[in-house]
Amino acid sequence: MVEIKNLVKRYGDVVALDHLNLQVREGEIFGLLGPNGSGKTTAINCMLALLSFDRGDIRLFGEEMSPDNYKVKQQIGIVLQNVAVFDELTVYENIDYFCGLYIRDKARRKELVDEAIAFAGLEEYQKKRPPKLSGGLLRRLNIACGIAHKPKLIIMDEPTVAVDPQSRNKILEGIQELNRQGSTIIYTSHYMEEVEQICTRIAILDHGRSIAVGTKEELKMMIKTGETITIEAVALAGEQLAAIRDLPHVFAVDYEGQVLTVRCTKARHNLLSLLNYLQEQEIVFGRVFSELPTLNDVFLEITGKQLRD
Amino acid sequence: MLHLIKYNIIVKTRCMNVIFWPLVFPLILGTLFYFAFGNIEEADFETVHAAVVEEDHADTVFLEFLETLEDDDEPLIQVQKLSRPDALDALKDQKVEGIYFTGEELTLCVGGNGIPESILQSLLESYENGKQAMELVAELHPEGIVAAAEQMGEYEELVEQVSLGGRTTDGNIQFFYALIAMACLYGAFIGLDAAVNIQSNLSALAARRCVTPTHKLKLILTEMLSCFFLHFLNVLILLAYLQYVLKLDFQGQGASMLLISLLGSMIGVSMGIFVGSFGKMGEGVKVGLLLGISMTGSFLAGLMAGEIKYLVDRQAPFVNRINPAAVITDAFYCVNVYDDPGRFGRSLVTLAVMCIGLTLASFLLIRRERYDSI
Repeated sequence: MVEIKNLVKRYGDVVALDHLNLQVREGEIFGLLGPNGSGKTTAINCMLALLSFDRGDIRLFGEEMSPDNYKVKQQIGIVLQNVAVFDELTVYENIDYFCGLYIRDKARRKELVDEAIAFAGLEEYQKKRPPKLSGGLLRRLNIACGIAHKPKLIIMDEPTVAVDPQSRNKILEGIQELNRQGSTIIYTSHYMEEVEQICTRIAILDHGRSIAVGTKEELKMMIKTGETITIEAVALAGEQLAAIRDLPHVFAVDYEGQVLTVRCTKARHNLLSLLNYLQEQEIVFGRVFSELPTLNDVFLEITGKQLRD
Repeated sequence: MLHLIKYNIIVKTRCMNVIFWPLVFPLILGTLFYFAFGNIEEADFETVHAAVVEEDHADTVFLEFLETLEDDDEPLIQVQKLSRPDALDALKDQKVEGIYFTGEELTLCVGGNGIPESILQSLLESYENGKQAMELVAELHPEGIVAAAEQMGEYEELVEQVSLGGRTTDGNIQFFYALIAMACLYGAFIGLDAAVNIQSNLSALAARRCVTPTHKLKLILTEMLSCFFLHFLNVLILLAYLQYVLKLDFQGQGASMLLISLLGSMIGVSMGIFVGSFGKMGEGVKVGLLLGISMTGSFLAGLMAGEIKYLVDRQAPFVNRINPAAVITDAFYCVNVYDDPGRFGRSLVTLAVMCIGLTLASFLLIRRERYDSI
């Protein structure tokens, strides 16, 4: 449905997109995950033919995307990072306006607008104007304006920025519902939890390059970390730390402020062997956590830095 | 298309700051113009006081002539018969503005230079011209002397100052034409706002509109039509204010004035859309540019000094041919002063061509526009 090949975009000397390659299949919720400045929004804007680019090829629905490819545009819905609605129009009028740019039939449009209002949970606010809405409601209106016409492809650029947890959950559930209804979704975010929660396939971006693509399971399989064990309130000597490093399947040990973090490869009983060692050494310890790898671990291992750095 | 126009009009009418200043500023300026010089011609007229000294062989006809002038409710002149010394004292004390001495020869003595003195002089000249005419008629056509006397009795202004087209000659009205032209050009700010909302590098809202399947030309045309509609209302309010509140006399050329205002509003709006679409400058720069264009255009069209328009016409006529403000004021002149339908038509065609040209240019500028950064 979307194919990006060798996309290069420069802002002066800064390379925003560095030979970016992406492929989005029909029916996916495709996540573009990366820290701020990694090129997510630039990639979206190039995809939508809003931005010029230096090299590469972008095809949507098998056609080259251009500013006057209205046939392709008819099938797209967008939810931009910045709320893009008219302050002068009410909630209903805003959705009706944008829906009307795609749907000419009045009766059908009314039906779709009502559905979008119900979908975004804005029934009570139909006659209110945007300046009277909270941040969460504004984001929901922003989404309703982008999806009311039931597009085949929905592109959402960080739709949950500055949104309260309640609205965020509603938005994420809504996105999954849209996907169930048949829309393919491209979703950008720097919140790995969100991407992990809803995306069926994910591309991790850094410095304008796609550094890893796959399902969350596939991504986690790509890295060495199989389990991260954290033990609080533990006092360790140098030789004890060295001994922990030598435990089977342990490949990284971090000890700071009496908190021990041990990274292990994918194997069984990692936690058990660590606890056994501590018991043998009669080392007293506090709380213990064992976590499966996250997308942050994937990012950390590939780039050497935290996703939110 | 109606969907877009409907919402464009709703948005713009609810966003008062977009249409407020293009409406209010010309109204304020018009009022200031009016108080500055708009009512000069309606200044209170004061009766001129004069003395008459009857000398030997006084011209009694002249005395009757003066009496007829005193009969009016607001007499042009009020005469008192005085002796020579009293009359001279009255003149010295500024109780009278002049003294007519009615001896064998009519003479006038005045105490200064001014409108009252000019009126007294003018009256004397009028009388003497009439007297000479009667003497000529008596000599050449004595049978017509009665008819001539009757004709002269019905005092008429024989020389009427008229414009080339038989309409207004009020020199101050040109400032108001330039003001209307400026108001028309102020539609540029409404047009600019519209252009900002269809360029994705200038606002997120524009970016959203640009990725919809609505054709760019349709976006521009609907923006232009709605802006034009609203701004034409602005100009109509200004015209109504000038005509019915400030009581300016536009010589009953309502339909033509409306036609000029209509095209003037269109040129203003399309100019704003063009400047808004031109280049990749920020909105602030474009506002400054438009302000510069509209004020310079209005200045060259005679808004601040009437002679400028004639000066430009003489020195660089091409400038006034392409200056929308000058074309608009020229069209007003054609209707109200020159009565030149050909030139009027040319002005309208010029405005229409400029308007179409600017709209098409705007479309070409932004139809396939992708930006380096947004």
